[in-house]
Amino acid sequence: MEPSKIIFEGLQTIICHSPLDCRVSRVERLEELTEMMGHSPVAILIANPMQFVNLEKEVRKLRKVYPTLSIAGIDFGIIHRQSMLTDISFTLYDTPEHIVHSLMKLQEKSQQSEQEKVEEENLSPREIEVLTCLVNGMLNKEIADLLNISVHTVVRHRKNITLKTGIRSQSGLTIYAISKKIVSIEDIEI
Amino acid sequence: MKMADLIDANPNLLLMLQHFNIDFRVSDMTVWQLCSRYGISENLLVSIANLYNGFDTKGHQPFTRKDLLQVISFLKNSHDYYRNDKYPQISNYIRELQENHPDREMKLLEKFFNEYFAEVLEHLDYEDSIAFPYFITLLDEGKAVEQGERYSSKEYGEHHTDIELKLQDLKNLLLKYVNIEGDLDLRRKLLFALYELEFDLYLHSLIEENILIPSGVRIEKEQNV
Repeated sequence: MEPSKIIFEGLQTIICHSPLDCRVSRVERLEELTEMMGHSPVAILIANPMQFVNLEKEVRKLRKVYPTLSIAGIDFGIIHRQSMLTDISFTLYDTPEHIVHSLMKLQEKSQQSEQEKVEEENLSPREIEVLTCLVNGMLNKEIADLLNISVHTVVRHRKNITLKTGIRSQSGLTIYAISKKIVSIEDIEI
Repeated sequence: MKMADLIDANPNLLLMLQHFNIDFRVSDMTVWQLCSRYGISENLLVSIANLYNGFDTKGHQPFTRKDLLQVISFLKNSHDYYRNDKYPQISNYIRELQENHPDREMKLLEKFFNEYFAEVLEHLDYEDSIAFPYFITLLDEGKAVEQGERYSSKEYGEHHTDIELKLQDLKNLLLKYVNIEGDLDLRRKLLFALYELEFDLYLHSLIEENILIPSGVRIEKEQNV
């Protein structure tokens, strides 16, 4: 997402001559990107951060919907601090090798999180909610009240969680939830 | 059949010999010779060896009181193996692993194991101090078990499952979930130790379920009549 044709074609040439295995597409505006992501997945967005001005909310929303999307910002020296919206940034004066290297690292990371996500899809969002409650030491009745479901349903969710993860004990599930980053380890008392 | 050939075919039988207090140097003794040397009935040793080899004990002769007392001693010895050998070994591996990877996730895993280990010890103590003495009294023909201290063989059978479930959890956490980089030697040793423990715990409960408990129930019935 870069309005300058010179910069876009420069970057495209660098990327196409690199070992990065990818396709490069150009979009002008955020809406275009959103539409494109609807039918073909995008791993890395290289963007001129000026394009994000006044659209911060939309960018955050996009990242929430597509958690595997990584964003590399082009640093024009105008915004000095690393923008909160980008994962990495590079300047137009960086060497092509440097740019390719940081893009490759970003790609690896995004593939990794994609894989993790596939595994996590084992548990439904509801089961993840129940698991989070369990890990926080809540009883079946308390979970049922909080989530507005019957105790019977909570028990069913618990059974499915155990079936899918292979972990039965509560303390084992706590470690599972932390390893899967479903709960933050800081929340757990050791 | 020579004992040495049986061990060759299934080295896990060494563990069985140890639980029977039989020395590993079995020379060229046949199973029958070994049994008479150590005063164990062939019926009992073959039944338990069959469990170790993956066969059930159906079709065996009824066990005598002497057999059953030896079964209890066998089970007690396997408790010593858990208490003094296998669990400390696993515990050391986990501590070492935690020291190499001092993050909170590993700390939780160590805590999980320590709590589990404490539960196991409690259970072993319970069997040693309540369940086994009960069976020994039951087997002592001179004394009938007084009604007050009667607790049944069936009740004993319900105690076991938890130990195996948490062990399964630990294995699954290590194989599927907990993030540890490298340290393959240590992790392999730990996993092997867990599998060894799991195998012997499994045999332990098979022996209780197939030999001790049915025999206990039978004797209880005889005494009631």
